[in-house]
Amino acid sequence: MLLDIAKKMIRVTKSIAEDRIATIDASKEFVHHSDMFRGKHEIDYETCTGCDACNKICPVDAIVMKPLPLKKPNKIPEVNLAICIFCGLCEDVCPTKPEKAIKLSGGDFDMRAGGDHEAQDNFWVKVEVPEDWIEQRKEEERKKAEAAAKKKAEMAAKKKAEAEKKAKEEAEAKKEAEAKEANNG
Amino acid sequence: MEAIKNVLGKYENEYIEDYKPTWVKAKFKNPKDLLNIVKDLKEVGVETCSTVSPTDFIDENKIEVNYFLEDLINKKNVWLKFDLPRELEECKIDSITPLMPSADWHELEAYSTYGVKFEGHPNLRYFLISADYFGKFPFRKDFDWKKHEESLIQNIDDITSEWLDEYEENKKTLPKDGSETVLHWGPTHPASGPIRLVVGVDGENIKWVDPDIGYVWRALEHLVERKDFVGAITSVERICFMDNPNPMICYSEAVEEIAGKEITRFAKLMRVLLGEIGRCASHLISMGGFFGNAGLHTFVMWTMDIREYFLDVLEDYSGARIATASVEPGGVRYPMPDNWLETLEKAIKKYEDTVPDMLDIFINNPLMKTRAINTAKISREDVITNYMAGPIARASGVKLDVRIDEPYAGYDEIEMDYVTCENGDVYDRLYIFFKELNQSMDIMKQAIAKIKEGIEKGEMNPKKDHLVRMPRRMPAGEAVTRVEWARGEMLMHLVTGEKATSPYRLKLKAPSVNHTMVLDSLLRGKTLSDIPLIYGSMHICQGDLDR
Ligand code: SF4
Ligand code: SF4
Repeated sequence: MLLDIAKKMIRVTKSIAEDRIATIDASKEFVHHSDMFRGKHEIDYETCTGCDACNKICPVDAIVMKPLPLKKPNKIPEVNLAICIFCGLCEDVCPTKPEKAIKLSGGDFDMRAGGDHEAQDNFWVKVEVPEDWIEQRKEEERKKAEAAAKKKAEMAAKKKAEAEKKAKEEAEAKKEAEAKEANNG
Repeated sequence: MEAIKNVLGKYENEYIEDYKPTWVKAKFKNPKDLLNIVKDLKEVGVETCSTVSPTDFIDENKIEVNYFLEDLINKKNVWLKFDLPRELEECKIDSITPLMPSADWHELEAYSTYGVKFEGHPNLRYFLISADYFGKFPFRKDFDWKKHEESLIQNIDDITSEWLDEYEENKKTLPKDGSETVLHWGPTHPASGPIRLVVGVDGENIKWVDPDIGYVWRALEHLVERKDFVGAITSVERICFMDNPNPMICYSEAVEEIAGKEITRFAKLMRVLLGEIGRCASHLISMGGFFGNAGLHTFVMWTMDIREYFLDVLEDYSGARIATASVEPGGVRYPMPDNWLETLEKAIKKYEDTVPDMLDIFINNPLMKTRAINTAKISREDVITNYMAGPIARASGVKLDVRIDEPYAGYDEIEMDYVTCENGDVYDRLYIFFKELNQSMDIMKQAIAKIKEGIEKGEMNPKKDHLVRMPRRMPAGEAVTRVEWARGEMLMHLVTGEKATSPYRLKLKAPSVNHTMVLDSLLRGKTLSDIPLIYGSMHICQGDLDR
């Protein structure tokens, strides 16, 4: 009995020595922060291929694909955070390697909307694609297309030449055969 | 098992077959036989109905009704199937509620969502769904959700004005003398959660209680059908925020069974760990909430504090604290992070360090004991007739635990025994949670040891073994899986079509339905001040009650 009381006293006394601050202002400081934390999306327009997989899998239709005047990516995802449930499925399906074009890791403290409708409506992860990047990309694409066209034309010319050669050879062979036949006959 | 099969064999059937070691599955030709079959089954010990689940096969123009019946003592289960025509006038079958009271609300739910009429049900009515869905049977495959949702605001306005009219009418017509009145306990009562108990009182003595449920009905069973097999976990996990991983385990096991895939031993043990973490998180709220309901909030703070440690573990694993989406068909979703097991051990230690204080101050609190001991007893017979599940059943001394009766995930490797209390009163229904928490800690320690050993021996690769590839398209099939959820048995019935990319039908059976069903009989004759105590002791969660 006495021992019990003594034990309890010790326990209570111990707690006096413990840290007094019981609360942490979670709007300024993480209470617990894991590297895995599924927060606000990061979308990398340079890696995205515009495959639409993230949009298709999203269980709550939080993703809207923004069209781009490019061939690849012809569209990139934008996320409505007011709808998103942070399930991370979009990150899972994204096919780009080794870095995913859409990632949830890393939420920040600003990830809070004001309580009103307007704030909710504007609660988006928008992707700012710089104009010059688009231009540059367009240029690249044009060059690529040109190169491809050139290559195609070359290939076609080569093929044509080959075909002609073949036809010629065949014709000659035929002639020869005919001549042979005539000789024999 | 033989006795059950003999009984079933007496009736005209398409097949009777074994399904898993503890189940018999049978399809019958004549729905008229149902009552006789159930009567005969009761004689061989199958006395409880777990749930009733209709499936709408619109292409074959039939509705198939599945009955899941259980013998809780001898662990033998029966799965009955009947085909009914889809036409509303002919879509009817005899109600088994008079024989098995546990089927009561499950039949109402099947009626409200599928329009299967249960003839002879003592009080067949629309239930659970909100009034704008009455008579439309939203889970039928031909129900047009888009069109219905167009008039969403109008529907809400209609319901509100109807209610106000009724209120005005009552004000004029109801007698104003006498001491009898009707009170609404909830849905804004601090202890109620989103449920309304309509309580008929005379002074402060309770005459009757009529729970009004459906405030958080999200049609999860339907939402699942709109998603693919992986995306469905986000709906399944939202059944309740308290114990998050277990519903996903149940669902994933069902998908794996249909696909015929075996997951790795590492994933199985991870499921044990995640499941037990979920159980701890839930039990801690339940225990704290019990006192919270009674108005003592200190203990809630304590248990929430411990809970945070377990949520930290979940966050370190999956990146989210509450809706973790951490289990998917094929295993568990993420590889195991480094040092994760140590974080878990820290959480276990935190709990164990607090145990003496919890015991001293709360669990053995003399005031609470005076209030709770011998209050609202649930007998073993009540458990069987009304199917009280999980901790509520074990508090009454019934040995019931899916983890032991039908081991899933890695539970067959774990050494554990039924934890029970004797009395089945309010106090036992609190104390059982404390006992189970201790058991959970033990299970987790066992699983941690096994994983560590496996990694050491090189049998497991925590970075690779977590997931096996699932086929993109499922074969046609159906499966029934059960898990021991924090608050009792959870049963899922999954149906898939040929080359399916999303579930055709998923029935979620959750324990709170039955626990709410018995409130009336538990509360009758008590006083108003007993409501929070007894209601709190049933550990009801509206998430799984409404789904
Ligand atoms: S995290 Fe989930 S809900 Fe959010 S955008 Fe990605 S898939 Fe959609
Ligand atoms: S973010 Fe990934 S998944 Fe989405 S469109 Fe781009 S490449 Fe495809």
